[in-house]
Amino acid sequence: MRVLTGVGSTPLSGVGTARWYRPEAGLTLADRPDSSTVDGDAELARFEAARATAREAIRRAGARAADRVGEDEAAVFEAHEEFLDDPMLVEDIETAVHDGTLAEHAVHDRFAEAIAQFEVMDGRMAERADDLRDVRDRLLRALLDTGTGAVELGTLPAGTVLLAERLTPSDTAELDPDAVVGIATVAGGRTSHAAIIARSLSIPAVVGVGSDLEALPDGADVLVDGEAGTVVVDPDEERRAAASRNASPAVSERVSTVDGRAIEVAANVGSEAELDAATDRGADGIGLFRTEFLFLDREAPPSEEEQYEAVKAALSTFPSDRVVVRTLDVGGDKDVPYLDLPQESNPFLGSRGIRLSLGEHADLFETQLRALLRAGAHEHGDNLAVMFPMISRIEEVTAASAAVDSVAADLEAAGTDYAIPELGAMIETPAAAFLADSLAERLDFLSVGTNDLTQYVMAADRENDAVAAHHDPLHPAVLRAIDRTTSAVQDADAWVGMCGEMAGDPALTPLLVGLGLDELSMSAVTVPAVKQAIRSTDSAAARELAAAVVTCETRDEVTGVLDLD
Amino acid sequence: MERVVTVVPEAGLHARPASKVVQAVNRFDADVSIGRAEDDELVRADSMLSVSGLNVAHGESVRIVAEGPDAADALDAVCDLLTTEIDGEAE
Repeated sequence: MRVLTGVGSTPLSGVGTARWYRPEAGLTLADRPDSSTVDGDAELARFEAARATAREAIRRAGARAADRVGEDEAAVFEAHEEFLDDPMLVEDIETAVHDGTLAEHAVHDRFAEAIAQFEVMDGRMAERADDLRDVRDRLLRALLDTGTGAVELGTLPAGTVLLAERLTPSDTAELDPDAVVGIATVAGGRTSHAAIIARSLSIPAVVGVGSDLEALPDGADVLVDGEAGTVVVDPDEERRAAASRNASPAVSERVSTVDGRAIEVAANVGSEAELDAATDRGADGIGLFRTEFLFLDREAPPSEEEQYEAVKAALSTFPSDRVVVRTLDVGGDKDVPYLDLPQESNPFLGSRGIRLSLGEHADLFETQLRALLRAGAHEHGDNLAVMFPMISRIEEVTAASAAVDSVAADLEAAGTDYAIPELGAMIETPAAAFLADSLAERLDFLSVGTNDLTQYVMAADRENDAVAAHHDPLHPAVLRAIDRTTSAVQDADAWVGMCGEMAGDPALTPLLVGLGLDELSMSAVTVPAVKQAIRSTDSAAARELAAAVVTCETRDEVTGVLDLD
Repeated sequence: MERVVTVVPEAGLHARPASKVVQAVNRFDADVSIGRAEDDELVRADSMLSVSGLNVAHGESVRIVAEGPDAADALDAVCDLLTTEIDGEAE
């Protein structure tokens, strides 16, 4: 038995058979034969067959991503299909093949040229190079019939523990949670999109294990313990049994600290499937309902009626619990093709969230607010709360509230039933944290989005491994920003929640309780563990802990006080 | 026949607008090419690779050349797309 240590990402355990995913493996090309020996017609037929195989795989992956993940990950597969059909690529490859080049060499050469063309371009155009690589590899895999060399992610055998250098969000979205019992990666962090998707799929995961993982052979017997953050090779019977019992059992009732302070433990939901997971894991309602999924994988925005029905369904699923709906949060890294969002050199500092809703997509905002206010009049509408993303100015809250009032007046005039829900702001920008007291005066609640707050406070891109150490929610600067927010709310008639990934880490529960959060919202899979952690937390001790942490000046001091590591 | 227009879509000729142009071109029996107005070199307008590869931004002038039976209609369709904020639902 050997134990490798990484970062627990999905706090579940699974035992299975190791299988490496090496997207590059098996794609090594043989030497080029003399062109006179190549049968052009046969090569043409091979290329056509490979295109058909690739198209089928792309469509399957797109459908699965749309269905399972419900985030923006499905859209990328449409672009992949456009490249697969590109006449420039197809015709050049056909010509080369006709002239006596093997199909795989023709694909390799022509894509290399196209990739180089996009690679030299700035910023977001470089993403097209990644898309092209992905399409090329699908074609090559089909052509080379790689057998054991490459792994088709969507059709892994049951009981697979997937090992990889890293996984992209689209890789992860393809995985079948019934077949993949665990994921372990060499690189990557807990807050990467891929890790978040693994959590939303409830796949046990440990990330950032480092190069030790590379020594594991295919077929090894492996336990992935996402709670301890370990990968155990040849686990003993005891560990095996513990893993099969898996995560903490669901706790359906609401929980309080040892001394009786009630803390709401809610789920983040970004698809209909996640709504079911939220009830299964015993969430006390929804602390973040991502409306983006209603806008993805389609050609036009959802109608008011569709949005109304979706919110009503969420309210009915949790008839006695709060449902916090976030208004459309696109921009940044989240694109919706038909909205034609502007290409920006710095999208995370550009038009996203409430900025679009109060600007060029005011029409979508109005439709969404109509749906929400109507849902507020629904049988369980009293539990509805609505929050605005990416708030950085009081003026935005004033304008958003005015938009709510104007929609209310329209509905009133039309004789349509409506109710104005609780309104809140997400605290994701340093500006919002500085203005928390003023925001709390004007709103019913605040919700701290720790992933973006960390990114903006620390000026560190959450997807950029080079600055992964800077993107640290446990840095004192981030913790002080959270403390400033929770303290501001104590003097106002408002509640404060947290809906970032940090909220789902049971090791941090005492700190978060001590900082004064009233609600924690997370991937459904972490709800039971956090509920257990709250039950064993004492508020007074937690407050002392938080007070000590906020005076820390370095990350090491913070982890020292929290007794982590 | 050819025409020079200024690109109106805010996103320039990137992802979505580029694919709209490509789709429009493929609807007609015409050979359409496109490039920056000041460049001599034009690229095929029926390829996502070449159209998005131009990396044309909002406000730049582009030249569109069309030949073939449906050249006039194809030219109209492409110029329409390039001079309208592409956004079916926007007000």
